[in-house]
Amino acid sequence: MKRLLQKIPDSLLRVGTAFIVFIAAVILVRSLIPASLKNTEEHRKATVEREVAHPVRYAGSEVCADCHEQFELKKKGYHKNLACETCHGVAKEHTENPGDVKPVKNTKREACVLCHIYNPSRPTGFPQINPSIHNPMRLCIECHNPHDPKPQHTPQECQACHAQIARTKAVSSHARLECTTCHTVPEQHKITPRQVRPTIPSDRSFCGKCHAKESKFVGTPKIDLVMHGEKYLCWQCHYPHMPEVE
Amino acid sequence: MNPVNEHLYEMLKQVSGYIYPNEVEFHWSILIVVYPYLTGLVAGAFILASLVKVFKVKQLQPVYRLSMLTALSFMIIAPLPLQLHLGHFERSYEIFLTPNFTSAMAMFGFVYAWYLMVVILLEIWFTYRRDLIRWAETDKPVMKFIHRALALFSKDTSEEGERFDMKAVKFITIIGIPSAFMLHGYVGFIFGSIKANPWWSSVLIPIVFLFSAIVSGIALVMLLYMVVTPLRGEKIEIACVDKMASFLFIAVIIDFSLEMLDFIHRLYQSEESIKILSDLVMNRLFISLGIIQVLLGMIVPLVLILFIKLFRVDEELRKLFYFLAAILIQMGIFATRWNVVMGGQMFSKSFRGLTAYKLEIGGMEGLFMTLALLIAPFFILALLIKILPPWEQQSAQS
Repeated sequence: MKRLLQKIPDSLLRVGTAFIVFIAAVILVRSLIPASLKNTEEHRKATVEREVAHPVRYAGSEVCADCHEQFELKKKGYHKNLACETCHGVAKEHTENPGDVKPVKNTKREACVLCHIYNPSRPTGFPQINPSIHNPMRLCIECHNPHDPKPQHTPQECQACHAQIARTKAVSSHARLECTTCHTVPEQHKITPRQVRPTIPSDRSFCGKCHAKESKFVGTPKIDLVMHGEKYLCWQCHYPHMPEVE
Repeated sequence: MNPVNEHLYEMLKQVSGYIYPNEVEFHWSILIVVYPYLTGLVAGAFILASLVKVFKVKQLQPVYRLSMLTALSFMIIAPLPLQLHLGHFERSYEIFLTPNFTSAMAMFGFVYAWYLMVVILLEIWFTYRRDLIRWAETDKPVMKFIHRALALFSKDTSEEGERFDMKAVKFITIIGIPSAFMLHGYVGFIFGSIKANPWWSSVLIPIVFLFSAIVSGIALVMLLYMVVTPLRGEKIEIACVDKMASFLFIAVIIDFSLEMLDFIHRLYQSEESIKILSDLVMNRLFISLGIIQVLLGMIVPLVLILFIKLFRVDEELRKLFYFLAAILIQMGIFATRWNVVMGGQMFSKSFRGLTAYKLEIGGMEGLFMTLALLIAPFFILALLIKILPPWEQQSAQS
């Protein structure tokens, strides 16, 4: 052995030792790392074990149906795909001990608004509200039955979707004009509102029907169409849904 | 306005055409420009050194050790830009302990470690071992210990031992050349293999990176040699600089041809991205690519060196021209890295719009940090030169 070592050049021996020490150190440190961080299978296994170890807190909707008759109602309504525990809270313990443990349900407005606040990315037709103007002081469940939610009244023609405009117009001097006075609305607009759009007036003479000085219409502000507002269209200065505002 | 995304609104003014929302902010900052630049210098400096050992280019002997030390000092700083960009230094060693063999980026640690430990450190050690022992005999106590420790306490000064060292150096250099190609080819591979980005996705990118690395490495060692030698009160060996310039000339021509090949290939292929890429080149990258990279970084240095080769120019003017060419080349290669890294992020993947990069001044990924990273290798080099003087052997020989 000693002879063999003598045959190896001194420099190689030293560098070799340094390398072996280094590699041994790396191997040692690596051996301290748990297997689950080094091997995909082990990692997956450890993850599954970790998740399985969590206590089961949810019971699942089927169990609720055994005792609660509201389940039948919910099954037919718009909330049919919503699990009971989404609103009523975790209920595993309740199913084991129904008398003593009651799930904590969330009846606050914030809970409903999670899904029903206006968000342009939600599908058209999905009921959405602006919570700060939609009966802000009341609980949602005072008017809507969460097990069978429905709008309180059928949406009125344009107002259903264009509520903001409707509210503005309602207090303006154009309040008594129908939407259809200025807009021609194809029937298809109610079904595919983004594809088929209502018309809007295209020139000044349209407003002039009531507001030109030649107009026979009584009680409207009159202007000289030729002189007033130069080349601009009327609605570039006057907001038609609230013409008082310039 | 939310201060976190305030700067994004400012960026929106720079956007032309249509871009996806997540393209306003650049994910790879200037530090990712610095990283391939530094690794390129390492690979280039090493290849210059290997010309002496493997290809026996005698004229380059004066810069052999200098280029090895240059490679080492830049190698030490090379991973820092990545570390600063990613954050969490304390986790970086995990790349070695829990490797992901299927990710090219995750393999950087190994490419780097191989090159640093098996190639550069080992070669420097074998080159210096005998000198270290010799220096330790006459050193003052602290330096004596440093030199002895660096020699791994070896005391073998026999002829036989030295012969083995020489053989070892040659063997390591032979391994080192493909390793240097691998190191920088790897950096190019990272970009070239991103198939979703037409500016990067090209098989030529690794080779272009490699040759630009060689160009920048040779130019850097040439600059260092021309600055350090007069500082030491020695005379610049013009034959050595001439030889370096010749290699530089060849490397620039190859680099230039490859880049033109890539360019023409893209134009001829005329894929769907060609419109936005020409827009990118003609607008956002015009100065950094057209002017700095191609004109100042390649054509002007080529003309300067060609001028020296064609006409009998006296030594002083030659030195000036070489110096100028080397500086321009450094600038050009930095611009090359900039154009690759930033260019790839400046156009929308919708191919319908361009955005711009806003460089921070302070901060972790700002201008000052960049400058610090670019200057740091020179301090390390100064320290290395102090501990391992690269010229002692030559003066002893002479």
